[in-house]
Amino acid sequence: MAKRTAIKVSNLTHTVAANTGDLTILKGINLEIKEGESVAIVGSSGSGKSTLLGLLAGLDVNTSGEIVLYGQAFSSLDEEKRAIIRGEYVGFIFQSFHLLPSLQAIENVMLPAELKGDEGARKKAEELLDKVGLSHRLTHYPNQLSGGEQQRVAIARAFASSPKILFADEPTGNLDEANGKIIIKQLFELNKSQGTTLIMVTHDNELAKKCDRHMVMSEGSLVEK
Amino acid sequence: MVNFAFKLMLRDLRSGDILMLLMALIISVSTVTTISLFIDRLQLSFEQESANLLAADRLIRSDEAIPKNWQFKARELSLKQARRTSFGTMIFSGDALQLSQLSAVTDSYPLKGAYLVDDTLFARGQPSKQPPKKGEVWLSSRLASLLNVRIGEKVEVGELQLTVAKYLVRDPGSSSSAFAISPRAVMNIRDLPSTKVIIPGSRVRYSLLLAGEPVDLENFESWVVPELKEGQRWRTPVEKGERIGDTIVKAESFLLLAGILAVVMSGIAMALASTRFVKRHLVQVAVLKTLGATPKVLIKVFSIQFVILFFTGALLGLAVGWGGQGVISSLLSGLMSTSLPEPSVGRLWLGTITGLVSMVAFCLPMMLRLIKISPMSVLHPSRKLEKNSLALYSMGFIGIYGLMCIYTKGFLLPSIMTLAMLAIGILVSIVGWMVFKLGRSLTSGATSGWQIGFASLYRRLLPNLFQLLVFTLIIMLGLVLVGVKSSIVTEWQEQLPVDAPNHYLFNVQKDQIEQINASTENLRVLRSDWYPMVRGRVISVNGKSIQTLYPEGKGEPELYERELNLTWSHSLGKGNKLLSGDFSADGLSIEQRVAKAANLSLGDTLTLNIGGNIVSLPITSVRSVDWSSMQPNFYLILPKRVLDGYSANFVSSLFISNENAQPFYKSMSQHPTVSILNVGDILKQIQTVIEQLSEAIQLVLLCILIAGALVLIASVRATLEERLEEGALLRVLGAKKALVQQSLVVEFGALGLFSGLIAAAGAEACVYALQVFIFKSQASWHPLLWALGPLIGISIITAIGLFASRIVLKVPPMHLLRDF
Repeated sequence: MAKRTAIKVSNLTHTVAANTGDLTILKGINLEIKEGESVAIVGSSGSGKSTLLGLLAGLDVNTSGEIVLYGQAFSSLDEEKRAIIRGEYVGFIFQSFHLLPSLQAIENVMLPAELKGDEGARKKAEELLDKVGLSHRLTHYPNQLSGGEQQRVAIARAFASSPKILFADEPTGNLDEANGKIIIKQLFELNKSQGTTLIMVTHDNELAKKCDRHMVMSEGSLVEK
Repeated sequence: MVNFAFKLMLRDLRSGDILMLLMALIISVSTVTTISLFIDRLQLSFEQESANLLAADRLIRSDEAIPKNWQFKARELSLKQARRTSFGTMIFSGDALQLSQLSAVTDSYPLKGAYLVDDTLFARGQPSKQPPKKGEVWLSSRLASLLNVRIGEKVEVGELQLTVAKYLVRDPGSSSSAFAISPRAVMNIRDLPSTKVIIPGSRVRYSLLLAGEPVDLENFESWVVPELKEGQRWRTPVEKGERIGDTIVKAESFLLLAGILAVVMSGIAMALASTRFVKRHLVQVAVLKTLGATPKVLIKVFSIQFVILFFTGALLGLAVGWGGQGVISSLLSGLMSTSLPEPSVGRLWLGTITGLVSMVAFCLPMMLRLIKISPMSVLHPSRKLEKNSLALYSMGFIGIYGLMCIYTKGFLLPSIMTLAMLAIGILVSIVGWMVFKLGRSLTSGATSGWQIGFASLYRRLLPNLFQLLVFTLIIMLGLVLVGVKSSIVTEWQEQLPVDAPNHYLFNVQKDQIEQINASTENLRVLRSDWYPMVRGRVISVNGKSIQTLYPEGKGEPELYERELNLTWSHSLGKGNKLLSGDFSADGLSIEQRVAKAANLSLGDTLTLNIGGNIVSLPITSVRSVDWSSMQPNFYLILPKRVLDGYSANFVSSLFISNENAQPFYKSMSQHPTVSILNVGDILKQIQTVIEQLSEAIQLVLLCILIAGALVLIASVRATLEERLEEGALLRVLGAKKALVQQSLVVEFGALGLFSGLIAAAGAEACVYALQVFIFKSQASWHPLLWALGPLIGISIITAIGLFASRIVLKVPPMHLLRDF
C-alpha cells in the first residue's frame, strides 16, 4: 500500500527584513515526505536549515509557496489553528533542550498531555521516562540533570503527545559523543516503535546517514543527496 | 483549564518569578493599605482631639437663644446634645467684685473631652466629665484670688448665691476665647434663671453642642445650615485657618504625599517584577506553543493565573497592611496622649484598587505581549518581544497617575509628581548616557575593576539607564519625603517652640514695669516687649454708626462687638507682616482677618470712642498676624500721637516653666492689680498634637524608605542573570574574586553616585514646588538633600548591589555556567 504524504512543500520562499533590506532565506523549495520516513537536512550555519524546520512545523508563516501537513495547508491558517495542528501532529526536540527550568523531569514530560487535558498524563510520562532510562530521575529539575539526561527528558516529552511527525533541531549539537550516541539510539528506537515521521536538522554526517533520506541545504536551496 | 493553570502556577512558584510578582503585589497593596489605614486612624484621632477642644463633634454658636425645634431635630436624629450660655458678668464676694466670663452649662456638658479642675489654687488639675452641680460654681484660680474666696465659700451671681466647689483649670470648648481678659467661671444652667442676669439686650453667646454618628451629624448639618441667620455659625472641630486645623491639614497633605509615593514605588516594583517574569517566561511560552498551546489556551492560562495572583497578593497585602498599621500605631502609642481609634475596614478598598491598577497597568500588558511571542524563538533565541516598551510603560504611567488622582482626590499633587518624574527621566537619560560614554572612553582594557565596571556600564547602556532611572526615582521620592518632613516639622517647631510664651500679664501700670522686670530677670524668665494698651470701641464706620449697621448687634463682626485693646508701635511686632499700605502713615493699621470679616479695606475710616473721646482715623495699612506666635497681638494699631494722652496699661507675654511657676506667682502676688492669663494648657495641647504628627510622619517615612529599599533590591535582581553570567565568565577567564568585586563596586557605586546627585536636584525642585503650591509655606534650600542623595546613592546602592549579587562571588563559576 502506498504511504500517505506527511508533508508536501511547493515552491516555498521565505524572506525576512534585515538592516540592509530584505533577505531571502529560502528560495523556491519543493519537497515531499512520506509518513514514517526519516529525513536529515544538513548544511552550514546560516544556510536556512532551522528556518525551514520552523516553517515545516508551522512555527512561522512563509512568505510565499505552500506547505501542506497531512492535507492541511499551513499558510492559510492563523496561529490558533496552527497551534491545534501542532498539538495533534507535531513533536519537537531542540538543540538546547528547552526544558522548563521550574518543572521537574516528569512535569516537563507531562506538559503536552496536560495541555490536551489528558487524564493519564503522569502514567504515560513515567513510561516514557522509563524507556529513555530516567525512571530514577523523575523528580529532578533540569539544572540537576546532565546535558544528555536533559535531552532524554526532551525526547520523552516529544513523544508524550504521540506525534505523527517529529522535528529535531541539532538534537546532539550540545552533547558529547557518548551521550550523542545514546540519544540517537533512543530517538530512532522510539521513532520506529511509534511509526513517526522524523525530520532532523544536523551538522553530523554520521547521524544524517542513519536517516532514510539525506538532503543538503545551501544558500537557501535544498538538494537531495 | 483552571486546574492546569493552577498547577503550572504552583510549579512556577519554585522558580521564584511568580514569587517576585506576588511579593511586588503584596508590597504594593500592603504599603498603601498601611498608610491609608494609618492616615484614617490619625484623622480619627485628630478629630477626637479637636473635638475635645470643641467639647463636641459639631457646634452651633448663636447670638440669640437656640430655637427649640433645632434641639428636637437633633433628638430625632439620635444626636447627643449639650448647651452652653456664655456672657460677661460681675461676680461678687463680700466687698470684692470682678468682671468675669461666665458659662452656664447643661449636665451633659462636655460631650467630648473633659474639664480640668483642682482643689488647690494654680494646680495642674484633674479631669472631670461632669460640670458643676446645681448650686455650685467653679472659679479659675485667678478669679478666686481676685475675689479672695476659697472652696466651700459663697459668691454671688446676680440674685443667686453659689458655692465655690472647685478651681477651674481648663474649660473645654473655650479655646477660641481663651485670650479674653476676664477670668472664667462655670455654673450649672439650671441655676441660670434664678440669677436674673440675662435680660433683653444682654450680650450673650448661646451654643448648642452635638455629638453622634457622622452620618447623623451630616444629616443635621444639611438640615440646619439653611436655617442659620446672621450671627449664627455652624462649627466643625477642624477648621482651616485655625492653629491646630492648619497643622492637621499640612500633616494630612504630607501623609497623602507619602501614600502617593508608596503607590509610585509599588508601580515601579510591579513593573520590574513583570519585566523579569516576562523575560524568564519567553522560552516557556514558546515551548508551550510548539507543544500545541493555542493563543486562546495561553490567554486563559495567564488570565486564570492573573486572577489567582491578584486575589492571593491582595488578600495577603491587606493582611500585612492591617498588621503593619497596627505595629506603627502600637509603636506610637507610647507617644500619643490618646490612644488611636480603630481604623475602618472601609478604607481597605484603596490598597485593593492600587493592587488591581498596578497589575492591570504593568502586569497585564506584559502578559499579553508574552502570549504574542513567536514559537519560532525556540529555534532562533535571538528573537525578542515586539519593541513597544514606551507604549507599555506609558500605560503604566497613566495607571499610576490615575491612582494618585483617586488617592488625593485632586490633580495638582499628582501632576507635580508626574512632571517631576518625567523631567527626571529625561535628565537621567542625557546625563547617564554622557557619563557612561565618557567613563568608557577614559578607561579601556580589563585589568582593573574600574575598567571592567565602566565597560559594563556602557555595554549594558539601556538596562543601566533604566536602572539609573529607577534608583534615581526611588532616592528622589525618599528625599522629597525627608525634605518635606523636615521643613514641615521645622516650621511647626518654629511656630511653637518649647519655650513659647505661656502666660500673659495685663493691666500693668507704667510704674510696675520696672519691678516686674526685675523679678522676671531674677527668675531668668523669657519675656516679650511691653506693649501699651488703651481700651476703646469702634462706634462708626465711614460715618455710619454701628447701631445703624447692626441693630441689636445681630451679625455684628467681632471688631465692633466688644471693647478693643488698642496700642501704638513704631515698628511691626514679631509675627506681624505688612500686606498693604504704609505702616508708618498717620492712620490705623488693621489685622487682615478682622478687616475681611468686617469688610474693611485701605481708606475706610473708623471712628473710635477712647475713654469718652471720639477719634476718626483712616485705615492706612493691613497686616497679617501670626496668632500662634503667642506674642501680644492687636487688631488695631494707632499712631502714637492719638493714644499719647491716655493713661495706658501694659501687656507682655512670658514663658513660665513648671519649676518657675510657684516663685513667679509668689512674686506677682505683690502686684494684685496685675492680671495673669495662663494659656499653658492650650499650648500644651497644641504641642502634643504637633509632637504626635511629627512622630507619625517619621514612622511613615521609615515605612516608605523600607519599601524603597525593597524595590531597589528587586531592581538589582532584575539584572542579576546578566551579571552572574558575566562574573562567572570573568572568573572562568582567571579573574580574581577581588577584581570581580571591585568591578561590581565601581558599577554600583557609579550608578549610586549619579542617581543620588540627580535625585537630590529633582527632590530640591519637587520640595520647592510642594512648599509653594501644596503646603503654602516659605520655600527654602535643603543642603541636607544634597548631602543625603549621593551618600544614600553610593552606600545603599553599592550595599544592595553587592548583597544581591553576592552569589556571583560565592558560587563556583562552573555551577553558574551550567545554569544557562
